[in-house]
Amino acid sequence: MSSTTRPHHTELARLAKMKSVMPFEPSRTASQMPVKKAHEWRLQGSLLSCEREGAALFKPVSFHISAGESLLLSGPNGIGKTTLLEAIAGLRRYTSGTLRLNNKNIQDQLPAWWKSLCYIGHKDGNKKALSCLENLKFTARLHGHTPTTESLLNALDAVGLAGYEHHLAGNLSAGQKKRLSLARLPLVQAPVWILDEPFVNLDVAGNQWLLEWLDAHLQQGGMLFITAHDNQEMHRRATYRQELYPTDT
Amino acid sequence: MIHLMPQKPEKLKTTVMLAALIQRDVLIGLRQKSQIYQPLVFQLLVVTMFPLGLGAGAKTLAAIAPAVIWVLALLASLLTLDHIFKVDHEDGSLETYVLSPVPLPASVLAKAGAHWLLTGLPLTLFSPIIAALMHLPESAFGTMLISLLLGTPTMSLIGSMGSALTISLKHGGLLLTVLVMPLLAPVLIFGASAILESTLGNPASGQLLALTALLVFSLTLVPFAAATAIRINLE
Repeated sequence: MSSTTRPHHTELARLAKMKSVMPFEPSRTASQMPVKKAHEWRLQGSLLSCEREGAALFKPVSFHISAGESLLLSGPNGIGKTTLLEAIAGLRRYTSGTLRLNNKNIQDQLPAWWKSLCYIGHKDGNKKALSCLENLKFTARLHGHTPTTESLLNALDAVGLAGYEHHLAGNLSAGQKKRLSLARLPLVQAPVWILDEPFVNLDVAGNQWLLEWLDAHLQQGGMLFITAHDNQEMHRRATYRQELYPTDT
Repeated sequence: MIHLMPQKPEKLKTTVMLAALIQRDVLIGLRQKSQIYQPLVFQLLVVTMFPLGLGAGAKTLAAIAPAVIWVLALLASLLTLDHIFKVDHEDGSLETYVLSPVPLPASVLAKAGAHWLLTGLPLTLFSPIIAALMHLPESAFGTMLISLLLGTPTMSLIGSMGSALTISLKHGGLLLTVLVMPLLAPVLIFGASAILESTLGNPASGQLLALTALLVFSLTLVPFAAATAIRINLE
């Protein structure tokens, strides 16, 4: 595929350009370089906790995730895994603790965080009245991308929905809806994935390619926050596993 | 090999995102149609009740026409306000634009814009039929169209705020009405009064300017209020 070589070229070109610029600006040190690459990112949560209707959900948790690492949240139903994922995504507030992105409070850099984020919650985010292709196109564009029809079809093909591009999303099965929402991952190409139970409703083959995607994403320097209740393989592969415990009260 | 990480640093395309939001909503509206037809059919049904109740005297009808036209426009648009954010919240697509580097108030503006295209604009275009049924003098048609063109966007905007506030309620329709009605009363007052003045042959520019002021006021403030309401409701 020609696209495999292109990014490499642009990256090399960018490095070459940087080198050619550097000698003329000797005063500029590496730490002053303005662009922070995604794979240098670190997210540090310390003593985070969330509450629902005024009651604390789980004992405060701490974690430290760098690029290429994954964090799997586990715990019984209702313990607050989704709530914590939403707090990490910036969808809701956490009630105590701090969340720091590259040593700065995440609340001060939410737009940068959201720009690098792809969040797929347990609601699939697809419109029933739109076809698979339209759903995918609008989701990608809502993330600020302008995908070609070819790349949209490729993404549908990759999740096993080839031939369904003109079917309405409302007529899909639960597993197919899940596949459609996961198809946005290769289109949006976000460095940080926050996936809430992505394996639910997927068949064996679906489980297989999603695990492969997650591995590939981490190998390419991505970050992953995930809950996966009944997927033992995911539990085995996760870099960190964080069990959520109920508060004593 | 599938690429899952960004290939090159992309510039944030705010316009792409906002255009996508409007285009998506309009496409869904055109496909489902009920959002467009419901208010119009409602208006038509209610307006045919007036001659039955009042007697078909053209004079009686013409006297109340300005108020009826505006009250109907208000009630008809109330029918659909509920949908602005609620549907997106239910299917999860709300999260896509809440978790976006594009400021949420801008997205609110796009949502309200799409709602206006689907309800406010059809209501305005349909209004001559309602006016004719109410025997409104033809000399007032121009003022009526302008007043609706200025007033319906304000309804969509203020309605989007009400919709944002009632996002997480199962049956928030009545609460939404209670919240939004008092805020829309000035639009009704100036809108109806503009038509009334022009039926009497007086200039209505004062009322139209007041409607413009209300529109500018809600254009500048409502997106921020609605955005805050959405964030609070997601907690």
